[in-house]
Amino acid sequence: MKKGITTVLAGMLAMSLLGACGNSSSDNSANGGSSSGKVKIEFFQNKAEAKTSFDKLVAKFNEANPNIVVTQVNPPDAETVLKTRAAKKNIPDVVGIGATDTFKSLATGGLFEDLSSDPVVKNIQPAYADMLKNYTANNQLNGVPFAANANGVIYNKAMFAEVGAEVPKTWDEFIAVAEKFKAAGKNAFYITLKDSWTTLPAFNALSSSIVGIDFYGQRQAGSAKFAGTINEVAQKQLQLTEYAQKDIFGKTYNDGNVAFAKGEAAMYLQGVWAIPEIQKANPSIDLGVFVLPATNDPSKNKLVTGVDTLLAVSKTSKHPAEAKKFIEFMLQPESVTQYITEQKAFPTITGVTQDDKAVEGLKEAFTQGNLVDFSDHYIPAAMKIDTLLQEFLQKKDVDAFTSKLDTEWDKVANRK
Amino acid sequence: MAKRRIAYYLMTIPALFLFFAFHTFPALQGIFYSFTNWDGFSDGYSFVGLKNFINVFKDENVYNAYFFTFKYAIAATILINVISLLIALGLNAKIKAKNFFRSVYFLPNVLGVLIVGYIFNYLFSNAFTIWGAKLGSDFLSQNILGNPDWAWVGIVIVGVWQGIAYNTILYLAGLQTIPADLYEASSLDGASKWREFWSITFPMLASFFTINMVLAMKGGLMIFDQIVALTGGGPGRSTQSIAHLIYTGGFTGGEFAYQSANAVIYFIVIVAISLFQIKVLQRREMDL
Repeated sequence: MKKGITTVLAGMLAMSLLGACGNSSSDNSANGGSSSGKVKIEFFQNKAEAKTSFDKLVAKFNEANPNIVVTQVNPPDAETVLKTRAAKKNIPDVVGIGATDTFKSLATGGLFEDLSSDPVVKNIQPAYADMLKNYTANNQLNGVPFAANANGVIYNKAMFAEVGAEVPKTWDEFIAVAEKFKAAGKNAFYITLKDSWTTLPAFNALSSSIVGIDFYGQRQAGSAKFAGTINEVAQKQLQLTEYAQKDIFGKTYNDGNVAFAKGEAAMYLQGVWAIPEIQKANPSIDLGVFVLPATNDPSKNKLVTGVDTLLAVSKTSKHPAEAKKFIEFMLQPESVTQYITEQKAFPTITGVTQDDKAVEGLKEAFTQGNLVDFSDHYIPAAMKIDTLLQEFLQKKDVDAFTSKLDTEWDKVANRK
Repeated sequence: MAKRRIAYYLMTIPALFLFFAFHTFPALQGIFYSFTNWDGFSDGYSFVGLKNFINVFKDENVYNAYFFTFKYAIAATILINVISLLIALGLNAKIKAKNFFRSVYFLPNVLGVLIVGYIFNYLFSNAFTIWGAKLGSDFLSQNILGNPDWAWVGIVIVGVWQGIAYNTILYLAGLQTIPADLYEASSLDGASKWREFWSITFPMLASFFTINMVLAMKGGLMIFDQIVALTGGGPGRSTQSIAHLIYTGGFTGGEFAYQSANAVIYFIVIVAISLFQIKVLQRREMDL
């Protein structure tokens, strides 16, 4: 019976042993490598969508640097894998992850090198560097922003033309467009809530514009509460589900990409990272993206953008110089251009622009700097905000949801 | 004599070592960390006494996970035992292509839980819904796994489908141990098939019944893989099992020490349940 609960623990030990094996084998190869003159660098990243793009860049780097061999590792559920590896101090040389709570806690845990005075950061747009600096209290730059994402509303241009809809600038216009599709017997949105994380793009767009990012700092300090503050966000997110297809809780992100590509809905509340997947399912689709108009004041409707991938160097890496060389290569305009073109991502360095037609609807927000960070990055991961949202959208009780956010936040804070 | 003892030691010590290294040591480590505030990756931690344990008792999510896990385990245990006993009786009868059916029923046990889970996940969202729509039922045309009230039933269906294979084999083995002359005697006495089952088959299977109940219950309380493959604990937290909560909270949530405390409590609960089960069921065996 003991076996039951200790499975997790036993698994951890097994993992640690495997990790130790991994360590020693890479040591061996590195030592053995010194005779053949090759240094092995492990590049760990969390984006399954970007695997081939990274493969190309890695191959290019390896070719240009005969002394260094970079291998890409991209496991499923990468953030959890990374945390379990971190528990055993077996961190990959170069880590590529989003600027999420995982990065925040690993950086605060002191696992990554401080790169703030490194020459690689000289071309980084200060806004993104500041975003990363804000995550850690010590004002270190524990990762270099490599690519940015944005989260808005992806729409089917052909379907918009069909019902004569325009890209909305305010919340009321947005709902009017949705009504138009409803009246035409079409789904305005495709919503995929079987995966809890797909609640987040809409939540982030609404919360970051309506409530703002500062709120989360105030919540942490105890000077603000969710109850009463975030009700409008919850109300509006709930309202959007009225214009979606049937069985929104039974469909997954993958179902959604395919269904939207097939024209089953006019709009899709997702980030630009979904575009390559949609185009894979239907290469001829004519789509665009606009900023989700969260309020009736167009100047308040900001584009949610964050660091989609940052590159960090492990403090325990045996070859930090080579690791940095790889990062330097990745940040060259040529590499960045290739990556953002393939991934429909946005550059974090100066001098490179994203000119893809599909995402030109977001260009204005970028040039005007009307940008805001993802709200969920400021919410402790242990709260599972995505799960709470998923539950709320089924129970539809705004007040219960907002007060639950407060109790969950306090509970997690008390456990620290 | 001494030589024989050495042979025994040679057999036991490696096993003991492996058991300690992979089983006892991690368990002790978990107990140790449950008294700290370690998040799983930081350099330092400090001791916080019983704070984690107190917080576990204050955590609604823990109660919710216990409720789901027990609901699942009880439903799965009953269904698995009833169905697998029926299948075993059928497979033990004189029917054609007996071996073929036996291997068919055993197949689910060979397949990996995750693979089965992902296949069913696809069926639940894309195949069953279409059949449901054809039947004209609003309820059946929706993915059962996306419904907070019914998702657990979907998990029970998959768990039972896979769980019956192993228990059927055990019951089959048990049926084979019943001496044929008992049945001959009963048929001479003119006993009905029903009477035969309750008076001979079922009592003679008592010890197999005990072990099957305990195994099925243990399997149910440990449920993890099915959850990962089918719902990820959702919608909301409606299908989050205790093992899944410990795993996600501990690693994804960065609350390693807190979930260790949860695991320690769960360990005690499972030991208590198993001891209780064995005691009660074995007493029943002896009454015969």
